[in-house]
Amino acid sequence: MTDRLEKTYLWDPVVRVLHWALVIAFFTAFGLGKFGPDQMTLHFYAGYTVAVIVVLRVLWGFFGFYTARFANFVKGPGKVIAYARTLPSTTPSRSYGHNPVGAIFVVGVLIVLAMQVLTGMLSDPEDYINVGPLAQYVSIETARKALSYHEPLSFLLLIMVIAHIGAIFWYKTRKGENLVTPMITGYAELPPEKIPHRQ
Amino acid sequence: MRKLLISTVIAATAATGAIAQAPSDVAKARRAFYTLVGYEMATLGGMAQGKVDYDAEVASQSAKDLLTLTGYHTADLFVPGTSNEDLPGETRAKADIWSDMEGVQEKGMAFYQAVVELNDVAGNGLDALRPAVGKLGGTCKACHDDYRAADF
Repeated sequence: MTDRLEKTYLWDPVVRVLHWALVIAFFTAFGLGKFGPDQMTLHFYAGYTVAVIVVLRVLWGFFGFYTARFANFVKGPGKVIAYARTLPSTTPSRSYGHNPVGAIFVVGVLIVLAMQVLTGMLSDPEDYINVGPLAQYVSIETARKALSYHEPLSFLLLIMVIAHIGAIFWYKTRKGENLVTPMITGYAELPPEKIPHRQ
Repeated sequence: MRKLLISTVIAATAATGAIAQAPSDVAKARRAFYTLVGYEMATLGGMAQGKVDYDAEVASQSAKDLLTLTGYHTADLFVPGTSNEDLPGETRAKADIWSDMEGVQEKGMAFYQAVVELNDVAGNGLDALRPAVGKLGGTCKACHDDYRAADF
């Protein structure tokens, strides 16, 4: 199959800036949490940054540019399975925006990030300096429960990041598609018939 | 004081059977000890974070009480067989404490030194108190990270 490819505007600046801001904020928060100083003020700021990014991305998912809106890329199980079947093939996907499998990751990572932010803000490690700002509004039992989830969730997020990067490598090596450049420049080479509002 | 704390922790490794108290009672007493530490820390932490107005006298007294607590002979609070594996739901003390007494001792010394430093400055105003409380809280966290489970 030879596609006629056109330079297509794919990712708007909000999506791109939030994506790369999240990369920085997540790794800053993760690194400071694991290896940072015992006075975790900077970890807190990185966490608040993640919180702002998640909130903005969710809002953008309702009111943003076409490819950013959940309604345009979140699909039912039928389409997810159909797309998943095409993953092993060497045929490029040429997706206009998130594909149905990627959509699960997008929604999933936003949910886990939100859980991570929430458990962090509810945590009370009982050191009287690194207490989450919401811990005072819940019982100490809840604050401990939150603390006990906060670290495992960070590993889950790390696994999700690795899977995300793994998928990008897969597309590059197996399908010959570069997914990184469009997330930087906003433009991708796509066949015109893949762009819904051009049909 | 320094010697006392070190000897305390070393003694804890050899404290087996020295006192015939039920493991549950040991865990209960240990938690009570750290509840007292936390009680004084809450006062100081509240001041450092601006949740409570700074009061030189109250801050100095809490710092002094912490210093008093560092003089407590804690060996009998760390009787082997009282970890969270032995007593699930009763304590968050990890078994790592008993397999790495040296590490615990190091963290304990850092805590003790931070308490001493805090005592030097607690009455000298909020700006002097804040970094000292921050450092002390950091020594709490360092030990919690390695030797205390997040939840029961």
